[in-house]
Formats: sequence, structure tokens, C-alpha cells
Amino acid sequence: MTPPRSPRRVLVVRCPGWPGAAGWPGIAGWPGIAGWPGARDQESASGARAFEQVVHAVEAFCPQVEVLRPGACAIGVRGPARYFGGEDELARKIAEAVRPCGFGCQVGVADGLFAAELAALAGPAGRIVAPGETPSFLAGHPVAVLGITDLADLLPLLGIRTLGDFAALPAAEAVSRFGTRGELAHRLARGLDPRPLVPRPPAADLSVRQEFDPPAGQAEPVVFAAKALADQMHDRLAASGLACVRLKVQVTCEDGRQISRLWRHDGLLSGLAVAERVRWQLDGWRTAPGGHGGPGPAGPGNGRPGRPDGRDADPGDGVQPGGITWLQLIPDQLVRAGGRQLGLWGDAVVSDRVARAALRVQAMLGHPAVTRPVPAGGRSPAEQVLLVPFGDHDVPRLPPDRPWPGQIPGPAPATVFPVPLAATVTDRSGQAVTVTGRAQESAPPARLSADGQPAMAILSWAGPWPVTERWWDPARARRKARFQLVTEDGRAWLAVLQDGRWLAEASYD
Amino acid sequence: MFDSRLMGADTARLAALPGASLAPWRYDDAVLPGDGMLPVLPALRGLLPGGGLRRGSVVATGHWSLLCLALAAGPSAAGAWCAAAGLPQLGVRAAAEAGLDPGRLLLIADPGPGWPQVVAALLDGCGIVLLRPPDRPSAQLRRKLEAAARRHGSVLLVAGEWEGAQARLLVTRQEWDGIGAGHGRLRARKVQVVADGRGAAGRPREQWLWLPGPDGAVTAVAQDIAEQDDMARWGRGSSGPAGTGISRVSTG
Repeated sequence: MTPPRSPRRVLVVRCPGWPGAAGWPGIAGWPGIAGWPGARDQESASGARAFEQVVHAVEAFCPQVEVLRPGACAIGVRGPARYFGGEDELARKIAEAVRPCGFGCQVGVADGLFAAELAALAGPAGRIVAPGETPSFLAGHPVAVLGITDLADLLPLLGIRTLGDFAALPAAEAVSRFGTRGELAHRLARGLDPRPLVPRPPAADLSVRQEFDPPAGQAEPVVFAAKALADQMHDRLAASGLACVRLKVQVTCEDGRQISRLWRHDGLLSGLAVAERVRWQLDGWRTAPGGHGGPGPAGPGNGRPGRPDGRDADPGDGVQPGGITWLQLIPDQLVRAGGRQLGLWGDAVVSDRVARAALRVQAMLGHPAVTRPVPAGGRSPAEQVLLVPFGDHDVPRLPPDRPWPGQIPGPAPATVFPVPLAATVTDRSGQAVTVTGRAQESAPPARLSADGQPAMAILSWAGPWPVTERWWDPARARRKARFQLVTEDGRAWLAVLQDGRWLAEASYD
Repeated sequence: MFDSRLMGADTARLAALPGASLAPWRYDDAVLPGDGMLPVLPALRGLLPGGGLRRGSVVATGHWSLLCLALAAGPSAAGAWCAAAGLPQLGVRAAAEAGLDPGRLLLIADPGPGWPQVVAALLDGCGIVLLRPPDRPSAQLRRKLEAAARRHGSVLLVAGEWEGAQARLLVTRQEWDGIGAGHGRLRARKVQVVADGRGAAGRPREQWLWLPGPDGAVTAVAQDIAEQDDMARWGRGSSGPAGTGISRVSTG
């Protein structure tokens, strides 16, 4: 329940007897609500839809309506009251506008949302509490209206029965005895907002941009301008006490194409560092293979800007045919400037130098091209590692620190084929080797041919190690039998027989 | 990282490195021991001139194998970041078992046609860069990347051929232990590594290694066992051409 911010005078519209209206929490004994028939039993989604009519009617008076719940909404009253000729007049007009919807209407006006909602309940048509009279209006209410169950039980036992009694306590005592919830309740009882206002970061446009006229054909002037722009942006952010988590660099070409990339910023990048990233971005664009060097729909999530080689532009000197007309730096995800954040990339501390190199490669190849390995759970060597793009933080779905019975013991293979190689394993007579349901091989494997290479004699072998994975899930269930094979060239292989097909999963080179 | 057992092994191995303290887990040029030299695993010291990887040098290993990971493990354990470009098949778990810290590993599975720029950028940031070139680099390109390695004081470790590499290490013979005809399992591999190179590294050196050993770690094979086995298995002169590394399997 966040009160509207700047106007402290609040108007609440509520429709008594609204189906599904939750009422005021925790005040079942309070007159005015107890009599509602089955107020809590109704389906509230349909109520929410029906209440749209009411909200729509209220929106005619003030466009910024906060729906508290189906059956109650609130607006800031200061501006509309001035326009419609006073709070009384506004309340009357709103009630008139809402009634045709077919619902009853109570309108309350007071300082703060809490008091305004109580004011709406205070009479058959609601009540308007004059400015400054809110504390005395609240003083007569029982403490139960605070909606904090344990306080509602406890305070009457201490002889504090009304909000007025509670508000009379010194604030410090209320905090030290009842904690933060006591402080909140105490502020409410005094007619204040439940907490001091926390204005959200401004929605003001903090982006900076520069036009190039004539269009810049070279990277240098753009990079040079980027530094000045970045300094300007940092000054603006600092003046508002803000930092950005990410920075979006947007470059517009003369022919209207745009390339934009998001860079992690975290308030750590200097103007020079931003300029450096702009240069990488332009370099990545220029050296991207194919055609005019444009990466197409560039973005941090796109794949590699690879296209069949058809380069006709000279890749060396110019930035683009057409040149660059706009450079824009857009701070993304504004946060309060709270100093440096570290440890974004997990446990190991990534030094600036490594991060810079990785970001630079990401600028050339795309975000997913640079990965860091994270141990994951699984039985095959490929399953045991999850590759996470640099800068992301990903947690493996399957934890590695489980027993995983059926893993191949011993030294891990140095070569794990990203896609297992198709293979054939035959016995001495040239028949494909199979494995029976009892994990018995049909004949000793004698020859292995992997990835279409000429067959090699198998000098020694071990297995089969049968694995039945996820038999409870028909879509992902697999039965496999693994073998270790040593061929005549000295290589050792991890081969697997699955659904009658042989695959080379890894080799122990 | 993958196995709590490993942490102990790593720590022990790290403590055994010359001049390494346990403190420099964060990569910083200043704290790496040995000016101009990145430490390697003790088993590999004898193979490299100066007993380590010289900063700014290029080391080639003929083809992709666990040897590349073993070479990168020493610097990684000492705190350097390692990047691997063009190696989608890199077995991260094997790397971790060899001593490479996966927490300081960057993988660029496909550096694309612009791979030289990618490698140059990586050399700037990482102490050691593993590379399998997608195509045969021209002499000019090689010189550029060598210059980048020198400028940034990092090591380019090529899983392939590289003319002009300061050091070249090749696995010439290998033999798996623990697996038989239908029984046992792969337990350890004994390999003979031969190293040569330019200048001070010109004299060929050789070393028998467990690559990997039974726990995945890379250690030297005790001298007498190596010689004995060498005589018994390879000394008869009929064991095929040198370098083919035909495996004879003992059924331990």
C-alpha cells in the first residue's frame, strides 16, 4: 500500500458491498463492515474487471488513479479539487459519476491514504476531513483499524484503545517497544504517511546524444565525441545522485540503420572506458564479415554477426559506407549511486583487464560467444559443465554435488565433443556390436570408426556400463551403455550405445 | 571447484611452485612469481627452457591434447587467467583435474573468421591463451600475434603447428593403464613428451609423464620405472615408427 506521493491530500472512492472487496483488513469487529454479506467469499477477478467501470469514471477527473483493490481506488486530490471547485464539489461530482455504474459510492478525503480510506467509511456517503484535522479524526478510531493483528490484540491490554491514545505515546517509545511495525503504526495514528517519502529515480531523460554533420566516415571522431558525451552523461547522473547499471550505446547511420549494444556499467566506467567500448562496437561492426560490415539487428543477445563472405567494401579504412550521423548514450536501469559493486561475476574476482578483454571479444562476436564454465550435474562429460556467457550469472539446473551413480570413474576425458560423433563399432566378423537388456555385449568390440574416419582396431576395451536415465519421464528417458575403447593409434575413447546407435562422446587425448 | 579432493591437491601443488605463495589467487601481473616466467607444473619443468613458460613466447604442442591443459594448469594455479579460443571440445573437468582453475577460464568456442583480432584481444587480458587456429596462419599474421604476446607479456599456447614457436612439445608415445580386454577401466596414461625449440630450447629434452595420473593430476613418471618399461616395451626395435605412439596395454 503505497500512498500517492506528492499530493498529501488523498481522495478515496469505495463502493460499499462490492463483491470480493477485501474490506479493511483485521477489523472484523468494527461496525460498518461486519454486516457485509459474504464479502470475502466472492471471486475477485471478475470483481476486478467490473470495477474497471468505476475506475474509468474516476479517471475522467484525474488520469492517475491508483486501484487499491477491487472496490476501492484513490487519487491525489489537490489538482482536481482546484479545477473542479473545491474538495466538496469534487467529491460530489465523483459520486454522481460513479453511481450510474450501478454501485453505491462512498468518497472520503483526508491527509494520507490511510485516513482517506477511513474517511470514506465514516458515513453513508463518506466524509471530508478538513486539512490538518486528520489526527483528531483518527484519534477516535479503535487501534484495530491499523490492521496489524498482534498490535490490535496487545494495545488494548496495555490500556491503549484508540489511535489517539497510541499517537500520544512518544514516537521513540513506540519504536523501541514495538519495532519497525510499531513505528509504521505510530506514523499512521498521527496522520502521517506510513514512511517518509522515497521518491523514485526520476524518469527524466538522462540520455545524451550528438549529431555528426557531415556524417562521420571514420571511427575516430565518433570515439572522440563519445568520450565527451560520456563525461556529460556522468555529470548529469552524478548531479541526480544516480548511477546506471547498464549503458546502451546507439549508433545511427546515414541510411537509417541503427546498431545498439548494452554494456554493463555499474557506475564503474570512466568516460574513456565508455569511449573505448564505442570503439570496440564500431570495430566489431567494421570487421564483421559480410557485405557492408553491418551486423544487422545488433544487440547484446544476438548471435554472431556472421554472414557468408561477400565483402565488397574496403574493410580497412572507413567505418561504413554512408557514415554515422548520430551517437546516443542511454543510461539503463538507474539506481542510486551507492559506490562500487563487486563480485558481479561470481566467486573469482574478475580483474578489469580480463573483463575488458572479454567485453572486447563480446563486442566482436556477440554476447554468448565468450563463456565461463560452471560445474553442473550429470553423467556424461558434456552434461557436467554448463557454459555461461561472460557477465551473466547462471545457476545449473542440476547440482553437481550429488552422487550421480553411473558416472564413469577415473580421469576425465580431455576432449569432449560438443556434438557426439557418429561412430560404428563392429566385432571381429564385422557385425555391429549391440548390448542386451542384461547389459551383456553381443561380441567383443574389435573395430571402431568415428566420424567417418577409417576403422581402427580396438586393442582393449571396458564396459558396458549401462545407464537408465529419467525412466519416469517418457520424453526425456534414455537408456545407454557406455564403453571405453583404446584404438591402435593409442587414443582412448568414451563411446556410448544409445537406441542402437553408436556415438563417440569424448576422447581421452 | 569440481571436487573437494582437488582443492587440496591444487593447494599442495601450488605451494610446491617456486616462489608462489597461496595469496595471489587474484590475477595481477605484479604478484606472479618469476619475472618474465610463468610457472608450470613441477612435472613439466624439465621440458621447458628456464623451467617455465617465458612471458611473450609462443609454445606449440602439435595437436590438441591434455598436454595443452597441463601446460596451462601451472600459470592458472598461480593466479593467471586462461582463455581458450577455437577449442569447443575442451574438457573442463579434465582441465580442473590437471590443476587448471575453471574459475579463471574463458572459453571462446568459435572465434570466427576474425580470430586473429580475438586472440590479440585475449592476449591483452589473459596471462595464457590456448589457441587452435581455424586455418593455417600466414607468416605476417604469426608475427603480429607473436608481437601481441610480447607486448602484453602473455603466453600463446598453440594446439597445432606454429613455425617459429619458442618451444614445441609433442607426445611421442602413450600407453594406457588399467584397461584390458573387456575388464578394468582407463586409470592412467603414461606418455613420453619430447620438447625442442629455438635458441636455448634447441636441445631436445624428453620426459615420461603420467598424463593423466590415476586422480587426473599430471606428474612425472619415476625415472627407473620409465626406463624399465621403455626397455621392455619399446626397446626391441619392432615397435613401429617413432612418433606413432602405438599403445601396448598392460592389464593391471
